Amino acid sequence: MRRFEVALPEDLDECLRFLADRGPESKLLAGGTDLLPQMKNGVTTPKHVIDLTGVARVHLLESEAKAGLRIGSAVPARQVELDARVRNGYAAIADAAALIGSVQVRNLASVGGNLCNAAPSADMAPPLLALEAQAAIAGPKGERRVPLSDFFAGVRKTVLGPDELLVEIVTPPPGPRSGGSYIRHTPRRELDIAVVGVASQVTLSNGVCAKARIALAAVAPTPIRATAAEAALEGKALTPELIDRAAELAVQSARPISDQRGSADFRRHLVRVLTRRTLTAALARAGA
Amino acid sequence: MSTMKTTRDVKGVGLSIPRPDGPEKVTGRVPYVADIKPRGMLHAKLLRSPHAHARIVRIDTSRAKALPGVRAVITAKDIPQLKKKAPTRAHAVLAIDRVVFVGQPVAAVAADELAIAEEALDLITVEYQILPSAVDPLASMQPGAPPVAEAGTEADTSEALAHSAVALAKSDTGPAKAVNVSQQARVERGDVAKGFAESDLVIEYTYRVPMVHQGYLEPHAVLAEWDTNGLLTLWASTQGSFNTRSEVADVLEIPENTIKVIPVECGGGFGGKIRALCEPITAVLARVTKRPVRYVMTRREELEAGMPAPQVIIRLKTGVKKDGTLMALEADTILDSGSFSGTVLAVSAVFLGSMYKWPNFDIRGSEVLTHKPSVAAYRAPGAPQTIFAIESQMEQIARALKLDPVAFRQRHLISEGDPMVNNQPWQSNGATEVLKRIAEHPMWKSRAEWVKGNGGHGANGVKRRGVGMAIGGWLGGLQPTGATVRLNPDGSVSVLTGQVDIAGTNIALAQIAASAYGIDVDKVRITTGDTDTAPVTGLSAGSKTVYTVGAAVLEAAQDARRQTLEIAAAEMEASVHDLEIENGKVVVRGVPDRSITLAQIGKKGNLYMSKVQPVLGVSRPAFSKQAPGFAAQLARVEVDTETGEVTLRDFVVVQDVGRAINPLAVEGQMQGGSVQSLGMALTEGLQFDPDTGRLMNPSLLDYRKLTAADLPNIETIIVEVPSPAGPFGARGVGEPPIVPAPAAIANAIQDATGVRITELPVSPERIALGVLAQK
Amino acid sequence: MAKQILSSTINGEAVEVLVQPYETLLDALRENLGLTGPKEGCGTGDCGACTVHLDGKPVASCLMLAVQARRRSVTTIEGLSDNGVLHPLQDAFVRHGVPQCGFCIPGVLMAAAALLAEHPKPSEEEIRYGIAGNLCRCTGYTKMITAITEAAQAAAAPRSA
Repeated sequence: MRRFEVALPEDLDECLRFLADRGPESKLLAGGTDLLPQMKNGVTTPKHVIDLTGVARVHLLESEAKAGLRIGSAVPARQVELDARVRNGYAAIADAAALIGSVQVRNLASVGGNLCNAAPSADMAPPLLALEAQAAIAGPKGERRVPLSDFFAGVRKTVLGPDELLVEIVTPPPGPRSGGSYIRHTPRRELDIAVVGVASQVTLSNGVCAKARIALAAVAPTPIRATAAEAALEGKALTPELIDRAAELAVQSARPISDQRGSADFRRHLVRVLTRRTLTAALARAGA
Repeated sequence: MSTMKTTRDVKGVGLSIPRPDGPEKVTGRVPYVADIKPRGMLHAKLLRSPHAHARIVRIDTSRAKALPGVRAVITAKDIPQLKKKAPTRAHAVLAIDRVVFVGQPVAAVAADELAIAEEALDLITVEYQILPSAVDPLASMQPGAPPVAEAGTEADTSEALAHSAVALAKSDTGPAKAVNVSQQARVERGDVAKGFAESDLVIEYTYRVPMVHQGYLEPHAVLAEWDTNGLLTLWASTQGSFNTRSEVADVLEIPENTIKVIPVECGGGFGGKIRALCEPITAVLARVTKRPVRYVMTRREELEAGMPAPQVIIRLKTGVKKDGTLMALEADTILDSGSFSGTVLAVSAVFLGSMYKWPNFDIRGSEVLTHKPSVAAYRAPGAPQTIFAIESQMEQIARALKLDPVAFRQRHLISEGDPMVNNQPWQSNGATEVLKRIAEHPMWKSRAEWVKGNGGHGANGVKRRGVGMAIGGWLGGLQPTGATVRLNPDGSVSVLTGQVDIAGTNIALAQIAASAYGIDVDKVRITTGDTDTAPVTGLSAGSKTVYTVGAAVLEAAQDARRQTLEIAAAEMEASVHDLEIENGKVVVRGVPDRSITLAQIGKKGNLYMSKVQPVLGVSRPAFSKQAPGFAAQLARVEVDTETGEVTLRDFVVVQDVGRAINPLAVEGQMQGGSVQSLGMALTEGLQFDPDTGRLMNPSLLDYRKLTAADLPNIETIIVEVPSPAGPFGARGVGEPPIVPAPAAIANAIQDATGVRITELPVSPERIALGVLAQK
Repeated sequence: MAKQILSSTINGEAVEVLVQPYETLLDALRENLGLTGPKEGCGTGDCGACTVHLDGKPVASCLMLAVQARRRSVTTIEGLSDNGVLHPLQDAFVRHGVPQCGFCIPGVLMAAAALLAEHPKPSEEEIRYGIAGNLCRCTGYTKMITAITEAAQAAAAPRSA
């Protein structure tokens, strides 16, 4: 890496003051699992790196009955993966957290970092989108909330300003009889990146699907929701045929490219398969 | 728990003894080049071309030189010895006026810190004039393609000779046609047209294997320092210290005996650390700065600008009668060598035409240059790619004729004495035994039930099971070498070779010395000398270390034994024929109280005014008889027919090793080679952009090597068909296990899904789309 | 660019060392503290050769800045054995002939040690996933699994005082 300075703020305010001064020439550092490789490749060359290790606020992981799940932006994926509250109440999020990199990477990689890096293949995005999470952002004018579906602006771009910081991700409780699942396709079982990732979350009521949310990774410039597929499911009984139909509609929402990880054709095919599989798994978890 | 110990109380050959350097390795104490940091050391970085083919118009290094902490910035202008027509990649230290691959070094920096060196690279401006490039080998072969080599550069066949020791007759090679076709060869027998005309089944497929990286965990690394007398010391991660010395001497035009190459522990080579790569430029930076300079390649540089295995395309056409009689084989092999010549063309011809008894064949091979990093060897160079083709084809023939795949192979497999494609007879080998052992394996015998059982997924489940096998091998390299064996004044024995211990061969050499001399292996110590102290020796490659250096150590140990017995005979006034060495003593057979200890003999050879000579066994053999090694592998897979994901449930490797000097070490080689082979089969491939020549997967995230979670236990079965000339009958072990897996996997996938994949890697995408295409 | 004083516990000892802001933890351990056991195989967290324990958890030290280890505890391979006495994992690796070139071994051992601390009786699958972040090119992993399984059983067995 080229040389740079570090700032070691001890709380959120100190961090925000530094961002206000030097935001455009700075990068925020939590787990470093995306930032450091990018700096080593010369993709980004910040003059200042702001280390969040000392900022307690972004390391909290809390679950409340009403407010829901609050994941501090610097909480490592491994902690999320193993947390019983996440596994029981927000299983799709635990599914995704367990898949990132390897255990050595997951002990560092932060959920917030995964979202802020905003790769089209970001594993944490689909389950959080499917659970309708919100991004809590702090800036010079205070805090604001942005639905995660409005958080991504393009490939590797979010709506964060240079003087802003993602503080936590807030996920409302999905309610009773709700289940979710995240499955991704990778050529290897570890150390890999999604060719396609799909999250499904379904909530049942009186034998039918009251609410369905389906989100896709790596098939568009940003992680996206498959809204047509969702609409086709709501209010209906989730039969295998209907699930197949939803899978077809999800394919139509996808706009994949061909790159060295996979062709567009293969990605579309995977959307179909993984949508079907995650809906089936989500339904099973909802019933359980 | 136990305290750290070296080898235990054992005899020698045939025992499974852990390597003596195990404790040093598990405690992280073994130094590799990047761990060595002399006082005043500078860090080197290279500026590399972003273009596949371009003229260098101008380089401005002034701003880089002005950065505080930068001690030197050099370009080709600063190295007068560089030849415009660089005969090998090693000679292309820094590009003079033209670059021929993305990643080619153009300038070099030495600085106090690595970070400063990196910043210095940003400050070097290079003006390029981009030229049309030839990235795809088929395009590059056409007349009129943009030229890669400087006109007049010779084809480099040194790699071929070092590795396979297969020579094609002079008349087999011909002049190049198109400007980038740098080598051509053809072997023929009989009349293929007639053979095809008389065949009942003629099939033709094109098999493709991309360039793959050897994948060693330790990137290339070298530390260079000159002393005030102008002597250069290189601490190098290398598979051959003498080869490194010769190449550096050649490139820098300095005498070989002014260079000392110290082979530091090598963190994996597999053929990729044979040719000099970073040593010349690091030596130049050290000379210019008068400081020690260390250069360690980044992983990205390794992938983009290393020396990978060539891309191979084989068009294979075969004709057989419906009863399975082989009639004719025709093949066109293209080896993409990257920007410098260096592929092993002959190997492909040998394995295409010589594994089975084809009465008629016509095999053509071409090496083509492209604007990509040039290639080097990778464990059995050319063999995995070639066996992928022939073993896939044999499988398809057997299936089409509804013949048992193993029985079909057994019927046509070569034996000792059968002619190879170059009409040399096959040396003694264990191919038949290896194939027999696979046929007898319970997993092969029960394959129909196992597939049908489908792991509970049901007959029409999404997951399908398949079983596949393949056989391949390696001819075994040869290279002259030397060794000395000394008796120490305390009765212990010291062995000196120059052989870099990559594969754990040192313990095997110690076992050979122990058994040959007559002493416990506990009392034998092997030292790997540097190029100043060791006898000249060859590469740790070609599966020839135990075969050649082992033979040298054997001979030297026998020489030392003879000398020891002669001294004992004189001291005890007995005949040498009546003497034995046992328990550290020379004894008269049957007369236990007449003896003299080895220590006494050793001391006598070292005492002031003594008339007794020191015991020094010496050998310096050269070799002519190769000892081919064959391996067969069997794979049991489960395929998710929707996503194409493959789960490898079981994997077996059967290998003829001649004589397992150290079965523990041999198993490790078989398992490691198998997994490299599986990587080539399932996930690996360097992907170059056909237009820009840029590598699209320059990180280990996207250049995928298999993890422990992707694999089952690798079951090993050792077969021993002794070689006539190897020490205690041993054959080379390292290369055969990397050969068969791609074909075994492709065969297993066809068994599971009906899809035949002829391009590696057998990726989930290829499988899933293949399954869809069938519907 | 000012160097920072890094105060940490390294292999059980309180340590203060000067580090550059832009140095990774891996670099600081290797270049400033002479702990060259952890290796750089890729620099991007894709190979595991740099694995150390951070507060007992296995991490890729090439992806951390040295300053991020302030007030925390780091264990490297050099801290796995106890005063010259090999950890059961190290002992098992030696006896089963696991190390070949040796480059991946420190990282594998640190990952395996962390696995056993969390799962004292791991299944084969848990072991394979526990070291799935560590690439090895020489061994094919089989003997590693055998050695780790044996070390787990040895650690679980009652020991005499």
